[in-house]
Amino acid sequence: MSENHVPRPVVASGEIAVRGVSKSYGEAHLAREVVKDCDFTIERGKLTVMIGPSGCGKSTLIRLLAGFEMPDKGSILLDGQPITGPSRDRLVVFQETALFPWLTTWDNILYGPRARGEVTPQTLEFAEFLLNKVGLREFRHKYPTQLSGGMQRRAELARAMINNPQIMILDEPFRGLDAMTKELMWEYYANLYEESGRTNFFVTTDIDEAVFLADRMLIMTNIPTQVRAVIEVDVPRPRRLADMVTSDRANAVKMEALAILHEEAMKSFSRGSKAAADFVEAYARRSAKA
Amino acid sequence: MPQQDKQPISPDMMIGILKATMPFQVVSEPLLRRIAAIGWKTTFRAGDTLYEAGGPADDLFIVVAGKIDHELQPGVHARRPMKTLVEGDVFGWAALLEKVPNRLAKAVCTEDALVIRINGEELLKVLESDPNAGDVVMSRFATMITRDYTVPDLIAQLRGIHRKLHARDPQGMNVTLYRVSRWLKSPKPYLMLIGLSIFFGGWYLFVEVLRLPRFREMPGITTVVAEWMSPNPTYGLSIYTGEYYQHILVSIWRVTQAFFLATALGVPLGLFLGWSRKFKDLVFPVFETLRPIPILAWVPIAIVMFVATESAVIFLTFLASFFATALNTMLGVESIDESYVRAAYCLGSNERQVFLHVIVPGSLPFIFTGLQISVGVAWFSLVAAEMVSGQYGLGYVINTSYTTVKYPTIIIGMITLGAVGYVTSAMVRVAGDYMMQWRLRELAMGAN
Repeated sequence: MSENHVPRPVVASGEIAVRGVSKSYGEAHLAREVVKDCDFTIERGKLTVMIGPSGCGKSTLIRLLAGFEMPDKGSILLDGQPITGPSRDRLVVFQETALFPWLTTWDNILYGPRARGEVTPQTLEFAEFLLNKVGLREFRHKYPTQLSGGMQRRAELARAMINNPQIMILDEPFRGLDAMTKELMWEYYANLYEESGRTNFFVTTDIDEAVFLADRMLIMTNIPTQVRAVIEVDVPRPRRLADMVTSDRANAVKMEALAILHEEAMKSFSRGSKAAADFVEAYARRSAKA
Repeated sequence: MPQQDKQPISPDMMIGILKATMPFQVVSEPLLRRIAAIGWKTTFRAGDTLYEAGGPADDLFIVVAGKIDHELQPGVHARRPMKTLVEGDVFGWAALLEKVPNRLAKAVCTEDALVIRINGEELLKVLESDPNAGDVVMSRFATMITRDYTVPDLIAQLRGIHRKLHARDPQGMNVTLYRVSRWLKSPKPYLMLIGLSIFFGGWYLFVEVLRLPRFREMPGITTVVAEWMSPNPTYGLSIYTGEYYQHILVSIWRVTQAFFLATALGVPLGLFLGWSRKFKDLVFPVFETLRPIPILAWVPIAIVMFVATESAVIFLTFLASFFATALNTMLGVESIDESYVRAAYCLGSNERQVFLHVIVPGSLPFIFTGLQISVGVAWFSLVAAEMVSGQYGLGYVINTSYTTVKYPTIIIGMITLGAVGYVTSAMVRVAGDYMMQWRLRELAMGAN
């Protein structure tokens, strides 16, 4: 089946505005402010990558964006409308694989349309298209535990994309994959994004991943989380890994981001964060090479 | 190609090398050991040609030390045909491709090299014996070739082999049959037979040969078997008397009714207990107060409550099953990973759908554990109930045989009870396996 013949739904990309959002956990006097006066925009049709030291409250922001929790202060607007709860408009691909282990790859992908009672011949064709796109045609009848880590993540991308959300939110989706699979996944994912032109919001702690994928990079501070810097990654698409390594612009972005992350890491280093120590070490290696 | 000696290599060294080689990195230890067993080592001098393009593709090579130049022939359409291979690199993978009987490249040693070689066909056989792991190895080969050489046709072929590995993959009901055949090949059934022989041998020895004091009054195995198999049983019950089957059928029928009633009420109750915090707070304290009360303590109340004896017996049989089913179902719901629930809401499910499509299937493994326990305790309670108030049934047989001093008949009743109970438990297990193929695969993977 030629890709051109598949009637793919028109993508209506959304834009999310986060305005003065704060969130704390715990009882009043013991409360720990995880997110504080956070302000940023996830621009329409762009791939925004949020990077920051691990444990810096990124996952809290994701839960707020997804609508599982409400901010204590401030507002989150999707195209001007406040977010009130989880919805297929903003699909989240979580850190942990959440493929249903009792459903096959095919049934997992079709879960959303079935749950909403929206299965049409077009949906099935689109599902077929996505299954091919993520390279899992042979694995249609397999259960998640029979797939490798990378395949599971790809199946999950397909399960999210079939719902044609206005914005896709991905919370460290490739964490825990081995280095090679991870790089293949970047190319896969970048390709999916480039073809759809959908708004994407991608959270990571991996600087190479961030630079390779991002149109815009939000660099976060340590807890309480705020946006520390925004870097536009103006490297042309489609991007190839080999090209990124030799691209001066990509390397400049990486150094700039690492310098900021290094500062943030140093701040929390005194607090004994293991993640921060990792960043310092990574930065030292890069600086030595440069 | 210069004839080089294949020399044996110690398995431990070989496993170490495989673990550092990309396609085999994630393979389980036992499988690695089997792959190691078919590996050889060979040394080459600088300038030796390992093979020419077009030569027979028999072995797969892994570089342990030294350098090998590897040049894919132009017909392969590789984006990067030339590559110098060093420690940890794998080459000669044409040996894994059925449609490619000949070498696709030329490999020349440029620096004295130690390599491992594994016969491609033998390796495929080992991988076929464990399709899931084989799959991983093959897909990692594909990844490696993509990265290192970018040869689209070959990757498609490797995928083809994938499919072949899985061609014999058990599907549907076959999974259960597959397990039976695996079981027959394992030592399990034979150990089971030995265990049973020791038990029955001990019985014979203690009662009839040694005549130990405690066992003096007990009927011996030969007496019991003779009585059981006799067309004219001394005490009136054997496989030739209709009464024997009537007792069995009455007991099975009671257990069946009680079991289905317990399932029909216990599963929904457990699901709601796990699903709704408020419902649990309301019901669980009562539930936990009633649950530990032994069946025998319920007997007087049952007799008072139910006029008909039959209903009383079924009620008593039902009780313990009901508690076991409901409790396990509740634990099943509570065991479900919250990320599944979140994902379902994210994908547009409403509460009812999350309940039906996530909570119910997600708790099935626990529910079936509960049902297996339930069927066991049903038999347990049945005998207690039949002993107190029954007209027929195996519990009744045991009890009346005791009061009328028919000792061999007691044993016949006991063994029959054990056998029938075992069969019903097994039936529940098979039904569970059949309904949860995904779970079975998960467990099978975990066992590797």
